[in-house]
Amino acid sequence: METKNRLVAVLEIGSTGIRLLVAEIFPDGRWQEVDRATKPVALGRDVFTTGQVSRESFLECITMLKNFREFLRSWLIDDSDIHAIATSALRVARNRDVFVDRVKQETGLMLAIVDGIEENRLMYLAVRFALKNDWPLFWRANSMILEIGGGSTEIMLLRRGQMVAAHSLRLGTILIDQAARIGTPQGQERYIIEHIRNTSGFLSSELDLAHVRTFVIVGSDAAIAAAHVGSTLNENCWIIARDAFNEFVKKVQNFSIEECTEQLQLPFWEAKTFIPGITINKLLLDRTGSAQVVVPKISIREGLLIDLAQGVDPALQEDFFSQIFASAVNLGRKYHIDESHCRHVASLCMSLFDALVREHGMNRRERMLLEVAAMVHDIGMYIRAAAHNLHGQYIIANSEIFGLRREELDMIGNVIRYHRGPLPSPTDIDYIALQREERVLVLKMVSILRVADALDKGHSQQVKIKAIEKKGEILVLNTDTTLDLSLELMGLEEKSGVFQDVFGYKVVIN
Amino acid sequence: MCDFYNRELSWVDFNGRVLDEGLRKDLPPLERFRYLSIVSSNFDEFFMVRVAAIKRSGEDTDPKALRPPELLDRIYQKVRAIVSRQYEALVGEIFPDLAKGGLTLRRPNEWTDSQRNYLESFFAREVFPLLTPLRVEETEDLPSIDGYSLYAGFFLKAETAGDEDEKPAENCISIIRIPQALDPVIFLPREKEDYEDEDMGQVYWALLEDLVETWGSYLYPGFKVIESLIFKVNRDADFSVDEQRDEDFIEAMEEVLEGRGRSMAVRMVYSPGSETIRDCLAQRLSLTEKDLFELKGPLALKKIYDSIRGYDHLREKPWKIYPHPTFTEDQSLWDRISQGDVLLHVPYQSFDPVVRFFQDAASDPAVAAIKTALYRTSGDSPIIRALEQASLAGKHVTAVVELKARFDEGRNISWANRLEKAGVIVVYGLARLKIHAKITLVMRREYNRIKRYVHLSTGNYNDKTAKLYEDLSLFTAREDIAFDAGLLFNMITGYSSVQAMNRLVIAPTALKRKLLELITREISRSSAEAPGRIIAKMNALADPEIINALYRASQAGVKVLLNVRGICTLVPGVKGLSENIRVISIIDHYLEHSRIYYFSNGGAEELYLASADLMTRNLERRVELMFPVLSEDLRRAIIEGLSSYFKDNTHAWLLDSAGAWARLEPGSGEKPFRIQSYFHSMASKAQAGEFPGSSTDDFIVRRSPPSKE
Repeated sequence: METKNRLVAVLEIGSTGIRLLVAEIFPDGRWQEVDRATKPVALGRDVFTTGQVSRESFLECITMLKNFREFLRSWLIDDSDIHAIATSALRVARNRDVFVDRVKQETGLMLAIVDGIEENRLMYLAVRFALKNDWPLFWRANSMILEIGGGSTEIMLLRRGQMVAAHSLRLGTILIDQAARIGTPQGQERYIIEHIRNTSGFLSSELDLAHVRTFVIVGSDAAIAAAHVGSTLNENCWIIARDAFNEFVKKVQNFSIEECTEQLQLPFWEAKTFIPGITINKLLLDRTGSAQVVVPKISIREGLLIDLAQGVDPALQEDFFSQIFASAVNLGRKYHIDESHCRHVASLCMSLFDALVREHGMNRRERMLLEVAAMVHDIGMYIRAAAHNLHGQYIIANSEIFGLRREELDMIGNVIRYHRGPLPSPTDIDYIALQREERVLVLKMVSILRVADALDKGHSQQVKIKAIEKKGEILVLNTDTTLDLSLELMGLEEKSGVFQDVFGYKVVIN
Repeated sequence: MCDFYNRELSWVDFNGRVLDEGLRKDLPPLERFRYLSIVSSNFDEFFMVRVAAIKRSGEDTDPKALRPPELLDRIYQKVRAIVSRQYEALVGEIFPDLAKGGLTLRRPNEWTDSQRNYLESFFAREVFPLLTPLRVEETEDLPSIDGYSLYAGFFLKAETAGDEDEKPAENCISIIRIPQALDPVIFLPREKEDYEDEDMGQVYWALLEDLVETWGSYLYPGFKVIESLIFKVNRDADFSVDEQRDEDFIEAMEEVLEGRGRSMAVRMVYSPGSETIRDCLAQRLSLTEKDLFELKGPLALKKIYDSIRGYDHLREKPWKIYPHPTFTEDQSLWDRISQGDVLLHVPYQSFDPVVRFFQDAASDPAVAAIKTALYRTSGDSPIIRALEQASLAGKHVTAVVELKARFDEGRNISWANRLEKAGVIVVYGLARLKIHAKITLVMRREYNRIKRYVHLSTGNYNDKTAKLYEDLSLFTAREDIAFDAGLLFNMITGYSSVQAMNRLVIAPTALKRKLLELITREISRSSAEAPGRIIAKMNALADPEIINALYRASQAGVKVLLNVRGICTLVPGVKGLSENIRVISIIDHYLEHSRIYYFSNGGAEELYLASADLMTRNLERRVELMFPVLSEDLRRAIIEGLSSYFKDNTHAWLLDSAGAWARLEPGSGEKPFRIQSYFHSMASKAQAGEFPGSSTDDFIVRRSPPSKE
């Protein structure tokens, strides 16, 4: 834990501008914003029309970032305390690697590209922070957190506080603005409605939107609505009644950009995307059963700040891991896994993991990854039982689990791939794409998962481990069952080879 | 009946009130001379900017306005009346009174032989080498006549004593610029006879322009001077830089400064002496009869006044400027400001704490950064020196310089260059917007954190004018204000686009809307039992939207008290429109300059100080700053002072519904009350520690943390 105050700067390159926030972080994990700056730059417009950041915007960004560096000098902030991130527009820009490199060369800033799911995670942290004491009130029911950006839309669905889905969709206000440019306002609206229908259809397979009681919207469009028709829920949140929100949207929907700037006092660069943004908000609200909209006054920058300020807060981390696991469970359900089997295998994995901490040396986060992998290890059965490990890897590679980074999902995919069948060979492209440390981790997880899976080969949850003993080179699993374990023993015989190779133990059931 | 007075006429009336101060017989003669000189320089500026604009526009400049030709007629009529009263008093009263006091101006016809001899040799020695004659040729361009100097004009006739074959040269006109570098006043040495006279100790002085006019003929050998006069031209100075040329803004600005010498002529003032020259110049400068002002006395009163030093017995005793009671030498400025907000009222209180704020920031190793917005400052400013030092000491120093501060551009460019050389980040304002806010932010490392100190002011960072202009300023370490101050600097230094603020109110983005909201709220909180109250003090009131809002307030029963020094286009006291509005104007020893806006808000009083006047250009085309006074004690003190202005019955003027200003006099049985004397005595008492809470000897028990005041 920190022992003294420190100043940090969070700099975000988004799709409409660069935003900077300076905050003081206190030893107890609280923090206070002390300065902020925003400069518009139309990266989203570039990237979503041409696929890359234009030369002009590129130079503009470099100048702005240099200015921000100069500005941060007045705060005496160490370079290591400047956290620069880039979100949706740059994420998909073809020339993003060049951009990141140029920024480093020209300004010394190390730019981290945040992927959509990481953005979700930071947003979740920020929303949770903003709701503070109102958290239980809002999370007892089903809820949805929505943020519409220029190039992407982040959506999280929670069932009674448990994360059931987190998505980063390629639906953004600038994209809409581009797509609908040729058409009339009605055309634009039809375009949006079509998108929303598809999106909400696919969301409903995870959680019935009609049962969403709490609708949380993050972002400047909603904040503008809140400033006009909302009331204060707490110091960090507004709340708007559904009717008031709808009425407001109805009023502004036909505003021209000029009217937006005049009547709503919006800067021109925000006015352009305001109408599409607020319209999407409204259309999604229509599909939920929520009586009000909660608008937190936060952004991904605050999320990053909370992440920095809180360091490793064990309680928060556990909560967070349980959200990740809940999201994985929901993914499994979507593909009709044998939930009791998977849960049982996951629990066996955890018993083995905990008994072998000295041997495997893996940490808490890796424990969580193993738990997630175990939970979805059979997900490929949805396609076909034969080679379901391969199908599983494919599904994971193309899915999102809240809180997991792309690299972590890749590891989980590999664990699933090798939980049965041949072990990794030097021609397995997805395996050799991993970092060396990751490959070792995958092997360790695979060896544990194979044993655990074997122990429930009959999908009957018969083997319940009471204790684990290490006797020389033998790992003895004590169970209290009197049932016939021949199937499990056979499985063990067949699948514990890797375990023996990796940990040096032969597994025996007593 | 029109709802608004014309703003130009209102301004001319203001200058009339300044003149009236100079007509007071109870003032010592040099003091009166000072007021008269201000009237002159005010008019110069008025013609160069406002009249020039009207002449150029040819279209309406005011809502239900007079057409320019009629408007110009009305302006000239008023100006002529004022100028003639001015010169009558100057020649008829002030010069004689100065002579009685031992300071006698001698014009050429009054010079004694010995004086004449002295001056002639002075001219030959000191003046003549600097003169260049410029001939006015029919067929060629007029020689350059700038808008700042005096010129002597000569109507010459060739002397044909020479060769008869030579064609007699035609009569011609030539002009000479009177060098700005020389003192406009020449003091004469004592003469022997003086000692025998009764008026021992008499000092005689002569005017440089008289010398040039008398002996200018030296420059024209072979010619005879038939007629001569002294003249000065006011030129259009109301044009701005081409701001598209962002990259070389300074260069563009410098071109504008040069350009002022060649722009349209607006008015010519001249001494009597030659109709020939007058008519010729008028024709060549495209001036008509009404643009010509014949003055029966010296033309450049301000320069003359400035070069008379000493003679304190002919001036009002200088008012003592008191040190601020709460800033003591032994306590750090930062500690004192951390304890609670501090208010400074210049010039009753000394400007020193502001200078010290910069100097301490520069020398304090704990200070990391200084950010300041300087609109105008004095040429040799201790503040600029402090900023230079701070930057050389490695601090992060940002100075927002306003090159567009009218008539100060030249000066600003030179010190801006100095700052840049010292490594200061100099920001040359914003395109199309003048930065008029005056604010400074000091960032200081204290116990592992950065603490911010802010100084906010209604007046400029100019130690010289702070001795003459009345202004209020606030030192604070409140985090909410410091946060907004940071945002403001981020905006005006280009680090950020416009952002919403909580405490500070900024023009052009929010100030007007906020004021309209405050007036509207006052209306909604007003009832017959407890009428609302708005008290405001400013230099000018001319924004139609604000005025209409004030009319609505009056109609809703809100009592509106306005203290407007200069232009006021609001019409008070009209039944059904503005009967609850009272407008006064204070013209006195110090120039009233602070802007204060008070709203009773149903008992939860709010008070703001601002850099902005209520003119459309301030509210819409400038970056202005309005800040709340949040400390209860300070708010009470300012409201008390603000209300007291309306008790003044010696230097206050009241505006009536017909647009006339009348001086207020003490009624029978009423004691005279002079607000500036009152503030002066308050400052004296505060310094002597007679006020509870202001004494440093008292225990000040705080029941709540100072930052929450």
